[in-house]
Amino acid sequence: MNDVTSLDVNRGFTYGLRQSLTIAIGYAPVAITFGILATQFGLTFWEAGLMSFFVFAGAAQFIAIEMLHQGATVWMIVVTTFIVNIRHVLMSLAVVPFFPTRTLAWSLALPQGLTDETFVLNARILKDVVGEKNRRRVMLGINTGAFTSWVVFTIIGSVIGKWLPIQFSGFQFALLALFIILTVTSLSKQNYVTYLLAALLAIVLKLLIPGKIYLILSVTLAAGIGAWWRKRARSREIEQQYGQTVKLE
Amino acid sequence: MHIQIMETILLMTLVTYGARVLPFLLFKGNNVQGYVRDFIELVPIALLAALVIPELVTPKGSIVILHNPYLWAGISTFLFAKFVPNLFLGIIFGMIVFWGLDKLLY
Repeated sequence: MNDVTSLDVNRGFTYGLRQSLTIAIGYAPVAITFGILATQFGLTFWEAGLMSFFVFAGAAQFIAIEMLHQGATVWMIVVTTFIVNIRHVLMSLAVVPFFPTRTLAWSLALPQGLTDETFVLNARILKDVVGEKNRRRVMLGINTGAFTSWVVFTIIGSVIGKWLPIQFSGFQFALLALFIILTVTSLSKQNYVTYLLAALLAIVLKLLIPGKIYLILSVTLAAGIGAWWRKRARSREIEQQYGQTVKLE
Repeated sequence: MHIQIMETILLMTLVTYGARVLPFLLFKGNNVQGYVRDFIELVPIALLAALVIPELVTPKGSIVILHNPYLWAGISTFLFAKFVPNLFLGIIFGMIVFWGLDKLLY
């Protein structure tokens, strides 16, 4: 009896928190980099910390401080953020089915912690957690771990950036390195064609169109074509299996 | 604190949190199927390509191959991460390789 209870407790908030450790550690160098760059670009350490606390979206934050530095208007930054972060709708859509009987409070709390990294981890782990209550706590744990690391290390980075005039070109590569590592874990036989297509489209569109519009265009086109291709492949499979019946139609 | 930066943070929060929370508010939890599901599944990988590859191949606005620390650091990081599956080590590796190549190539 006692064992069952402790197992349930294990698959709760602390279980999620422990699972988030790899993300929390991985975020550290990226968040420190963000803090350092933000202060070098003229933000105060409060502003950098608040941005990480409220926005909690790596790519958009890096792009935003760069645009602020270049003198872009608020609206240009907001539109770019919207383009870069619209993908959260899709990640959110993908985890909603894990919580069919959630309350409004959970509906408001759980999605704030969704990032590319926590999404991948949540999707992998929640599958094996029994019971919606446990899944909510596990996801909250995973998100809290990642979120805390992101905010705390942003502040540490901005304090470092304020007091030490560090010139290290490696900072320019922190976010790209994070995304490249994410690519290694997400690339598969089922999606590499879409990946290549998106890459090609993004290069061409970036060279042709000024601004960041190339992001949403290439992603929508590549995912759209990729999904259509899958559908076609699936119906062909069915056709092969039931070749005779299809021909009769 | 600058008003402009606070305004930026507020509006960025609005669009980002909005994108995250809307599905939780609008959908009961029915699983989407078919084309929409495939599309949703493919968006993250397409986005990774769109965020990374143009930065590696056209860092200064035109295609550069040889004298391009982004490209070679990117390829090295990719290979490193294939053999060492550790987020922290991979990022540190990428930053140091980039820094080294940047010194070497310029």
